[in-house]
Formats: sequence, C-alpha cells, structure tokens
Amino acid sequence: MKKLSFLLALLLAVLTMQAQERTVKGTVKDAQGAAVGYATITEVGTNNVVQAAADGTFSITVKENARLSITATGMLPVTVSASDDLSSLVLQRNDQLQEVVVSAFGLNRQRNQLAYSAQKISGEEVSKTRTSNFIQNLSGKISGLDIKQGNTLGASTNVIMRGIKSITGNNQALFVVDGVPYNNASGTTASQTSAQRTAAGGYDYGNAAADLNPDDIASVTVLKGAAASALYGSQGSNGVILITTKRASKGFGVTINTGVTVGRVDKSTFPKYQKEYGAGYSPVAVYEDPSRLFLYRDINGDGTLDLVAPVQEDASYGARFDPNLMVYQWDAFYPSSPNYRKPRPWVAGANDPVEFFETALSSNQSVFIDGANDKGWFKLGYTRNDDKGIQPNSKITKNLVTFGASYRVSDKLVAGASINYSGIDGRGRYGTGYDGSGGRNLMTSFRQWWQVNVDIKEQKEAYWRERRNETWNFKANNPFAVVPNYWDNPYWTVYKNYETDSRDRYYGNVNLVYELTDWLSFTGRMAVDNFNELIEERRAIGSTGVASYTRFDRTYRETNLDFLANVNKTISEDFDFKGLLGTNVRKQHTVYTRARTNGGLIVPDVYALSNSLNAILTPEEFDGRREVQGVFAATTLTWRNMLVLDATIRRDVASTLPKGNNVYYYPSVSTGFVFSELMKSANWLSYGKLRLNYAQVGADAPLYIVKDVYGVVSPFGSNPQSAVTGVNNNYSKNNPDLRPELTRSWEAGLEMNFLRGRLGFDLTYYNAKTINQILPVAVSTATGYESKYLNAGSIENKGIELSMNGSPVRTKNFSWNVMVNWSKNKNKVVELFEGAENLLLGEFQGGVSINATVGQPYGTIRGSDFIYHANGQKIVGANGRYRSTSNSNNVIGNTNPNWIGGITNSFQYKNFSLSFLVDVRKGGDIFSLDMYYGMSGGLYRETAGLNDLGNPSRAPLAEGGGIILPGVYEDGKPNTTRVLNGYGTYGDFRNPNAAFIYDASYVKLREVAINYSLPASFVNKLKAFKNIDISLNGRNLWIIHKNLPYSDPEDNLGSGNLQGYQSGAYPSVRTVNFNIKMRF
Amino acid sequence: MKKILFILAGAVMLSSSCTRDLTRLNNDPKNPTDAKSFTFLTNAERRFSNVLASGSQNLNVFRLIVQYWGQTTYTEESNYDLATRGIYDNIWDVIYRDVLPDLEEAKKLIPRDVPDQDIQKNQLAIADILQVYAYYYLVTTYGNIPYSEALDHNKPFPKYDDARTVYNDLLARLDADIAALNTNAASFGNADIVYGGNVANWKKFANSLKLKMGMLLADSDAASAKTIVEAAVAAGVFTSSADNAMFQYLSSPPNTNPIWVDLVQSNRDDFVPASTIVDKMVGLNDPRTDDYFTLDPTGNYSGGVPGDGTVYGSVSAVSPTITTADFPGVFLDYAEVEFFLAEAVERGFNVGGTAQEHYDKAVTASIVGWGGTAAEAAAYLAQPEVDYATAPGTYKEKIGVQKWIHLYNRGWDSWIEWRRLDAPHLDPATNAVSGIPMRYPYPVKEQNVNRLNYEQAAAAIGGDEVEIKLFWDKF
Repeated sequence: MKKLSFLLALLLAVLTMQAQERTVKGTVKDAQGAAVGYATITEVGTNNVVQAAADGTFSITVKENARLSITATGMLPVTVSASDDLSSLVLQRNDQLQEVVVSAFGLNRQRNQLAYSAQKISGEEVSKTRTSNFIQNLSGKISGLDIKQGNTLGASTNVIMRGIKSITGNNQALFVVDGVPYNNASGTTASQTSAQRTAAGGYDYGNAAADLNPDDIASVTVLKGAAASALYGSQGSNGVILITTKRASKGFGVTINTGVTVGRVDKSTFPKYQKEYGAGYSPVAVYEDPSRLFLYRDINGDGTLDLVAPVQEDASYGARFDPNLMVYQWDAFYPSSPNYRKPRPWVAGANDPVEFFETALSSNQSVFIDGANDKGWFKLGYTRNDDKGIQPNSKITKNLVTFGASYRVSDKLVAGASINYSGIDGRGRYGTGYDGSGGRNLMTSFRQWWQVNVDIKEQKEAYWRERRNETWNFKANNPFAVVPNYWDNPYWTVYKNYETDSRDRYYGNVNLVYELTDWLSFTGRMAVDNFNELIEERRAIGSTGVASYTRFDRTYRETNLDFLANVNKTISEDFDFKGLLGTNVRKQHTVYTRARTNGGLIVPDVYALSNSLNAILTPEEFDGRREVQGVFAATTLTWRNMLVLDATIRRDVASTLPKGNNVYYYPSVSTGFVFSELMKSANWLSYGKLRLNYAQVGADAPLYIVKDVYGVVSPFGSNPQSAVTGVNNNYSKNNPDLRPELTRSWEAGLEMNFLRGRLGFDLTYYNAKTINQILPVAVSTATGYESKYLNAGSIENKGIELSMNGSPVRTKNFSWNVMVNWSKNKNKVVELFEGAENLLLGEFQGGVSINATVGQPYGTIRGSDFIYHANGQKIVGANGRYRSTSNSNNVIGNTNPNWIGGITNSFQYKNFSLSFLVDVRKGGDIFSLDMYYGMSGGLYRETAGLNDLGNPSRAPLAEGGGIILPGVYEDGKPNTTRVLNGYGTYGDFRNPNAAFIYDASYVKLREVAINYSLPASFVNKLKAFKNIDISLNGRNLWIIHKNLPYSDPEDNLGSGNLQGYQSGAYPSVRTVNFNIKMRF
Repeated sequence: MKKILFILAGAVMLSSSCTRDLTRLNNDPKNPTDAKSFTFLTNAERRFSNVLASGSQNLNVFRLIVQYWGQTTYTEESNYDLATRGIYDNIWDVIYRDVLPDLEEAKKLIPRDVPDQDIQKNQLAIADILQVYAYYYLVTTYGNIPYSEALDHNKPFPKYDDARTVYNDLLARLDADIAALNTNAASFGNADIVYGGNVANWKKFANSLKLKMGMLLADSDAASAKTIVEAAVAAGVFTSSADNAMFQYLSSPPNTNPIWVDLVQSNRDDFVPASTIVDKMVGLNDPRTDDYFTLDPTGNYSGGVPGDGTVYGSVSAVSPTITTADFPGVFLDYAEVEFFLAEAVERGFNVGGTAQEHYDKAVTASIVGWGGTAAEAAAYLAQPEVDYATAPGTYKEKIGVQKWIHLYNRGWDSWIEWRRLDAPHLDPATNAVSGIPMRYPYPVKEQNVNRLNYEQAAAAIGGDEVEIKLFWDKF
C-alpha cells in the first residue's frame, strides 16, 4: 500500500503542470538522398509516435523543446531536437544490426542504451514468405533460437532459446504482443495428450501463436537472455519474442495482399521401397501353399486350391515377385472391384504410398485499412487463410480480424484499444506417433507396416467406388467377409476417421497513457486473451478397433492488468535517466472437459455422445486458475550516450506455490559501454559496444502440484471406486513444500560495425544455471508413483551466439548482403535431488528412453547397445546375429545439436531483390522407430537385393542366400556365419536399439525469395496505387544434406521437451508462394 | 473528471494486487481430497483381477510363454522378446502402482472410517491378504524386489530386498492376517466383489494361499514348506469349488473381463491357441478341449506352432466361453488346492488323503468347473494316460501336466507352477531370442532411475538375465 500512496501522491503533485505544443514537419532520407519510407518518429520519453509516409515525409505534434527519435528498418537511429531543421534527416544504413526498440511495458530504449542481447527482424521478413505459422519463418534468422516444427499440417512449433533450461517444464519462449503476454501453450499442454507427446499416437493441434496475423506484424524482437526478460516475470525466463504490430501512418491507406502457395512432397524424405518381394513375414510365418508363402484357398470354385496373397499381413518379407505367378490379391475380394474373383500377376504395386499425397494449396487474402491524423490513428484488417495439406481431406481455415486505434483525448491523455479475433477451423489434421491400433497416423503404416505389392492408387479407387473400407489388410479366415485386420484403407482413414477442431479467440487491450510532464507518464492497461476451443475425434463404424467419438471442450482466459509509471529525464547534458515502476496482475483460467463414447457407436456417421453403445464414462474435467501478482522497478542510466547502467527488480506472488514459499524476488544488472564513442576519429569503426549483465529469474510451479487429490473411478456396477493415482493418467505425487525455481545467468557481448556498417558482428557468450527446478522427478514405481514433484535439479546452459553481416557489394543500383547466424549451446545436468543420478524424461516404444543424467547433456537417448570387441567391432554370437546388451540403460545418443546456424544472402538490383537462406543443424541424434520396424518388415531397399555372393540375399541359405553381418566373434575373428535374411533380420528384435540411432544433422535450402517492387514512376501513373510489390518465394526447397534415411530429421512429434524420437514421420513439403501486395 | 477516472482506474488495479491469499487457487475443485476406505478396496480387487486375467500383448503375455497361445502376426513376445513392448515395466507397474497403493490407502483410512473394532480388524486383514498375494506375484517373477522401502514416496529409490526374506515376511503377514480374521463379524460387505465380505471365505482363502506359498518352497526348503503347508491345511483350506475366489465381471465396459476387451472388442486377431496344449489335450481326449478352443476349418482342433506366425482361422481359436464380457476372473480355486495337496502327499507332508484322491478331486473339479460332468471326469481319469496310477513320469510330471491344463486361463500362475514342477516339457519357441524365461528382467525404468539398487539386486541374484532361476526354482 505504501507504493500505492507514493504513486498517487506523485500523480497528484504534478497533475497541474502543463507544456506548450507545436507541429513540426520533416523528411527522412538515406545517405544517397533517397527517401526512406515508413520511418518511425517518436517524441523521446513519450508514447507520441507517428510513421513517415512512403516518400519519407512526416508531421508530428510535439511539446516545446521535444527531442525526436527517428528509427527505420535497416537504418541506424538518430535523435534530433524538434527545433532542428528536419527537412532532410539523413539516416545511415545499417543492414543487419538494426534499430532495436525494446518495449518492455512501453520502455523504449535506443541501441546505445541496450545492455543485453536482442535481435530484431522486420515484419516484412517474417511475412514475405507465406507460411501458415509465421513462427517457422524465424528459423535460421536469429542466433540462439532453435525452431522445430513437425511436418504435419498446422503442427506446433518448438521455440527454444539458448537450450533447454527447465528439465521437464515449459521451455518455450514467451510471446508478447504489443506489450501483452500472448498464450502460446495450447498445442503443448492439455489438448496435446501425453500419449501424443510420447509417440503413442494422437494429433498435434498446433500452438496458439499461429493465431497471430502475420500481415499485422511490424517487427519481431527477440530478447534472449534473462536480463532482457526479467521484467516479464517467470514467463520470460525462456526468452521473449516481442511482437510489435503495425501502426498507421499519416493519411489514409489501404493495403491488399493476395497470395497462393503450392506445396509438394519432398521425396527424399519419404521411403524408397524394395520392389522384389511382396506381403509376408517369412520365415517367422508359414502359410498354406506348398511354398509356405501364400494362402491356399479355392477362390474360383474349380475345386483346386489357388494362391492368395497373405492379405492379413502388414510386412513385405513374402514371396518373390514373379509376373508369371497369378495370385488373388486384396482386390479379388470386393464385389465392386474390377478384379473381383480374379487373380493377377504377383508384382510390386505400380504406385507407392508417396502417391497418396496431394498437392498442398494455400491461399492467403488480406486487406488492411489504416489512417491517422494529428489526433490519433486506427487500423482495421482482415486476413483469410485457407490451407489444404498434402494429406487428402486436410484443411485449416483461418479468419483473422484486427482492429486497433489510438486517440489523443487531450494534450496529456492518449487512449488506445485493440481487439483481435481469430477463428481457426481445422479438419483432418494428421495423426502423429506410433498409431498402430488407433490407425490415425498413416505414416506408421507407410513406413513400418506395409505390403509393397499394394498399389495406393487402386486403394483410392477402391474407397471411392462405394466409400467403403475396402482395405488391403483384412482377416484371412474368411476373406470374402473382408473384415479389416490391422489397417484400414488409407482413404477411409482420412475421409471417415478425421478430426475437426475450431478455436475462436479474442484478444485485445485497452490502455490509457497520461503524460504528466515531458518526463513522467503513467500507463494503465487491461489486456484480455480469451479462447474457446472444441476438438472432435472420430472413428467410424467399420474401421479396425472400436468405433468412437471424443470431444474436448476448452475455454481459456488470461487477464493482465498493468499499471506503470514511466520516467524519462535528461538530467544534464551528460546524464539521461529512464525509470519505470509498475505492477502486473496476471490471471489465467482454464476449463476443459474431455468426454468419449464407450464401447462403440450405435448409428453410423452420427458423432454425438448420445450415440454411444454403452453409457458414457465420467468425462475428464479440469478447472484451474492461476494468478501471479508482480511489482517491479527498472532504471536505465546513460552517461554521454556511451555508458549505460540498467537495473531491474521484480517481486512476484504466485498462486501455484505453497503458502509461505510463494513470494520471490529477482534482480538484474546490465552494463553497456559504447567504446566507439571514444574513437570517433577511427573511420574504420562505425560502432562498437561491450555488454555485460547478470540476472536472476524466478519461476512458479505448474497448477495443482501442491496438494494431493484422489481420483474418482467409474463405479463397478453400483460400487463406487477410488484410486490414489492413475486418473487421467496422472501418476505423480504432489508436494506441499515446493519452493520457486530460479535461473541465474550472466552474459557478455561484443557488438562491432566496420566500414560504415558494411561489416559487422554481434557476439554473445552466456552462462545460465537453473536451480531448484520444480520437476516431476521419475521415481521408482515401487513407491506407488511414477514421479514426484520436487525442487530437484540444476541444469546449466552455456553457449556462444554470433550474428555477422556484411555487404560485399554496395552500389547505387546493386547491393549484396550476407547475414550469418550461428549458435552453439552446451547444456549439462549439474545436479539432481538427493543423490539421484538420472532423470527419466520419457519412455518410448522399443524400450528406449530420453534422459537427463548428472554430468551429461539434457536429452540423452538410452537403450540397448551392441556389444563391442576391444578392436572396436560389433560382436556377433555363434548364430551370426548381433549380440545386444541385456540392459537398456546404455547411453546410445544425445538429442542436442552441436550447433545451429543460417546464412542469408540477399541481392538487390533496383527494384528486384533476391534472397536465399541456408539453414544448418549440425549433430544431435534421433531414434527412428520407422527404421526399427520398417527394416524388420522388409519395406526398405536395404532389406533386399543381392548378397556378397551375388545371389538374392533373401534366398534360402541352401540356395546361396543370406547375409553376413559385419562384425567379429567373441574372439575378435571376423564373422563368417551367414544368416537367413527374413523378418526381423535388419529390424527390431534381432538388433539392439543402438542400430536405429541416426545423426539428425541437416543442411537445408530453407528459403528463396524474389521480390519486385513496381517502379514508382509506373505505379504513380496508375493513380490509385502507392506501391505494388510482387514476390515469388520458395520454402524447404532442397535438403542439401542429411543422414537420416527416408525422412526429414526435423520432423518431430510436436513441441515439448521430448525430442529426438521419430515414429510415423511425415515427409517435408516444398512450397512455392506467389504474392502480390498493393498499397492504395 | 478524466483525471479522476484515470487515478481511480489505477488505484483499482493496484489494490487488487495486495489483498487475497492466492494459494487457495491450489484447491482443485474437480477432484476430491477425501474418499471412503472401501472404495479403494473395490478398485484394487478389480485392478488386481484385470492384470491376472488380461490377454494383452502389452501386459500379460504369460499365456505365450507357457505355450497356451501363439501369435498370428507379431511374434516378438512368443519368442521372448518382451522388451520391445515394455512388458517388464508394465507388469511391474500394474502391481506396484495400481494394486498395492490402493490397498495401502484402504488400510490407512479403515481405522478412521470403521468404528467397530472387529469389522475394522477384518477389513485390515483382508486388504493385507490381497497385498501379500500381489507381492507373491512380484517376488516369483523378478526375484529380489523393493519391499521394506516400497510404497513410500519419501524413499524414491528404494533398495531391493532379498527375495527369500521378502517371502518370509509375506508368510508372517499372512499368519497375522489369518489370526486377525473374526468369522463372527462382518467386513467389507458388497464393496468386496470377490466374497461379498464373507470372512469365513477369506479365512479359507488365506489358508489356501498359505498352502500355495508353502508349496513354492518345497524344492528349496522342504522343512519350512512342510510346516507351512501342514499348518495351512489344518486351519482349513478350500474344500469345494464353492470356495473359489472369483471376480465376477460385468457385461458392459469398462468393467468387463479384459480378455473380452483384448480379443473381442478390439476386433483384432492377434492370438491363436498353441499347438503345444491343443495337441496334448487332443491326445488325452480331454473333455475341456471344446471349452478351451473352437474347431478349426477342418472340424478338428489344432494350434499354431509357438514362435511362428499363424494364419488366424486356419487353426482353432480361443473359445467364446472365455472371451465372454462377464466371464469371471480367478484369484485362487479349489482344483489348484487339490493339486497342491496331491503333491504335498507325495512329498511326505501330513495333509491327509492319498495323492491319487487329491489328484482325482482336482481334475474333476477342473472339468466340472469348465462345464463338464462328473461322468466325463471319471471317464477321463480312467484313461491310462491320465490315471494317476498309470500316467507316465514322476509325480511332478503327472501333476504338472494336469495342472498346466487346468490353469489354461491363468497364464501367470501356470508359469510359476511350470517353473516349480518343471513339467510339462516345453521346447523353446522356433525363433526364440533366448531360452524360455525363468524370470523377468527388471524394468527399463528401474535400470535408468534406480540404477545402484538395480545393479545390486541383479548381482545378488546372479545377473539380470531372463534365464536365471530364482531361489525356489531348484530344478
């Protein structure tokens, strides 16, 4: 309350002060004298901002003696006095290390005053290559930022800054839109089930930052370290992605953006099948005919037995293809089929499953209207996005409406508001993970369980004939009954067993800024982010498994109340002081219900809970609120625009921690030294700055981990049942003694520009240690729990980030710029609780696990390993097969990359620009369940072909077949034992897990963009237009290098901490986009 | 006016931040912090029965190991590759995480909920008997296990106790429970799905379990076995099938027999009967054959070769009797008790009757229990191959074969008895990755989470290998 009294007193004391105002006009130009359009002109120390027009002119009403800060994308900012001659304000080009305006709660800081690492890219850059989720456009453009996105339509994006910090908690960077935290968690928490994240099947519903309208983004600033983010509280401990939306410039404008994107599967990320052998599980399975490779039934009724393909099987270790062999195949058993009761030659399917994928097609249309005058500005935008994926019957539609306005009520009071609506409708998102019984992820089938004799196009025709489940895989006991066995017709899966989802989201804020004097202002703001979501999943009657309908209803609401006092005072010629005092109250409320049918459906195609065959079970319900109340202060002291001292302190009271332990403080101190100010005579050096900072960030706990609750189990008849654990798959023990967790970090940076900005770099070293981490520590299940929440660990991240830019060529008409981003993060688990040495993060099918072990990096893959001889060779047993360790706790991989980086080359010739980005990830391992099972089942080329003797390797040993596995016997002598090449030889149960660990490195041509701005002379003739930009962009065009066979090493199961495991991976999609942007 | 509004707005925002106690938001409005003790017992009985009855290839694959069933397509488990699907972890988790803690919670809450001292004692004893039985499966499956430090979240990495020491303690607990049961008082009533709260039945059950546990020691420690078995029989074990400990499932999900879920509701054809048992029963003209299997397409009984894939429909299938949704699960039955008694007589334990008498009663109870008649049983027993006097082999082989046939739907028990009696003779599956398992290796999670204790335990039993024999398995 003391603070409140102080603020009120301050407010009242200075209410009566007044100042004169006047309007000044000016023009912004570059060094060559050309107009710089759309520069931002800010009255220093206020929120009074205007944007220059395309021709560089602007007009702003300011107070007497005001100072103006002029910033523009790609230019070094300048600060001038409003009384100066503004008719030709010259900005120096600064191609890469651009203007940085950090607006933490409206706190603007110029580059010289910035004492921590921040990197900014323009909205242009994120929106010019159209993708359905603009976040992935950040990949390779920001050092230290590791962005991973799965290849499913609308997949969630994993945004990790400077490595994993929280061992099992949220590591996703915080999104802040115009100063307001923006929920990005939806795809990674409740709607994304734990089954989905641990690869047991399910859908990736994306993350909610995809709701942001890329056309409305003016700039994206990435604050990497804790010092930069201390003011955002614990949410900011993983770094902050600040998004500034557009503001209108003077006058009235209309912008229309229209684009179309076409995508095709990158075949290098999809299996290449062997074409020599068809369905079967030889030699493990023996069938009915004399060769033991076919079923043997009298199909045509002539009294003799006929060869029938083993239709019940889903592997390709069967009979060798032979066009002269006539075999009844799956299509002989459906009356609608042209091959009904007819045999056909035993050959490989003419069309591989890769033909299943369609051309992806997206359309993007947006219109933006904006206007401004001396009193205020407004913007109104509408964007519609239709994304049709490569999988049939998949589509995501987005409707985004943006409205924002600001009005100067009086000379001291500015009122502003924004409201945004986003409506997302999804249908047929792709299933993920291992989904053998669920059947939702067809990649599980195409990569692991498939008959190469099946022609995918014939499956398509079979489905569309009667829209029935005419699958290739049905039960053998009575083939004419065609009861699906393990897999449905893929087209049935996508057209009948699809999901739908919709999310209606409203977010916005109202704010008032009161400018008491030219150095003191107050801001009050209330922001609301609210969405309702419905997800429905179906399995139709007639599918494999139990027909079902599941619905998930969720509402989420976040409210932020901020009150800020902002001081901006030039104390003397040499000293500049900025200060901030504020409070933030953040409330979140999540409610959801998940309900499903029980035991089947009654009526086909009716998806309602009332259509449940048995009475439905108790739905899963959740109702959780959390609140954090923060008070913070910040100050920035600058001396001669050369030395800067920045300090912050914050106090949080968090609801999710136990009483008594829920108040915590965290400070930060940063210093910056712009040494180039002392070397003004050195022409070669245009800018030089040293940074050093230290920060501590506290974090609260997840919801509901303090107090234990029981689970209510559906009654047994009329007998009620309760459980200690296991309800909603929660087997964790809660803890009433939790304390907040802390990240302590320091950072040092050097930023230099040479030769008038033609060459520059920004180098940062950081070291962050998170201690007292709140973790659901995996404990021995003999405790009765799978995990227990504890303050349990300490993890260290240290690394180097480097951004470099250069302009090898710069002439009046032509320029060539190069930008390199490179970062290396090393993380290490320093300590776990009570002498524990390993933390199990997730267990996966195949017996592998992902772990955090003391002394090792976060994310080691453990499993069974080969046994190696002293000479380094793999040991085979007397039977000629690899020996495997009996234990599964060997470290066989590490999911962390050695480094990541990107190189952008951009060329500009007059109105043409061309740029391309090459994105590199070096190192990091991945376990592939696709190879584990796919090699077992003989789908891939490596499992067939000739052996060292020149004979078919799959031939019986007696006929010279079989293979000799490279390795040695126990005594070190080379293996000479030939083994039969059959089911399992290359795959799961004949090899240790280590055989399926691959290097996840890649080099990708991520982005190619060609832009053309129609010449002003031409546009001007069209009268109505101000400018017209045409662009042609490609994304993910070429994987230049990778080591993971048949798959995209970037594909993941969804966002979250469990990376490094692939199952049922989707191929990557090459997209080409054509876009026209017109401004009237 | 505007100024005042502005100040007010600011004041409201600020004041909202320094009043209420936020931590009350930690109270979950959707889940209870309190529940009645008996509700945990019901849940524990159901979960315990589920794992015993299960036919899931992800959980209970004992039917494959003892060659009752084979697999049609994915033959990893039939060939003893149990790691791929995490079987070692799953079966461990179900007992430690799902069954034992609910019983522990019931025991904790009973003194609060049940004022009547006699009823309270009965309830505590029954819950403890079920815990003893649950531990019996763990200790006979893995060997040394966490016990003295188990079920305590303050000991996240419990040490493993010597298997025999654990076993002795289980026997001691069982004796105390038997002593505590008061047949003149009630217990759980209908919340007890197995016996409806009948304490006399629980007393017989506890003594029958004691008999079973005593017989486990017969090869390794005959003297202790004799004492335990004789005391159990003297105190009164099952005397007819009416005493059987059954779990009567319901006909609609989620409270059905898991076999129905795995074999019928799933609509999958993963399993077929194995030729090992089918051929044996056909050879003996066993009247239970049609209760266990359907006819194959040729009108005969046939099974898949263990370890090979088999075309579903080309051989017999599992009979619909067993896969009915409300088919009861079995914890312990009278036929099993009689088989133990026959064996006890052969081992010179003083339990009354002759081996042949007990053997005949056991086989008869089994056949009648599966829907046969006493006459069918008599005819069956009259065959020289079955007649105890003339059947081939040692007493272990005679009893072993018949017990193996009897335990057809109880794979876990059958695997324990098969290892103990070393009969019938089973050949390893055709594509086996190891010998037939003599124990389960420890879970992958224990290896990674509780490594030091795991390594000690593995060393103590001679290595964490599947072929290592446990302390009671001398032959």
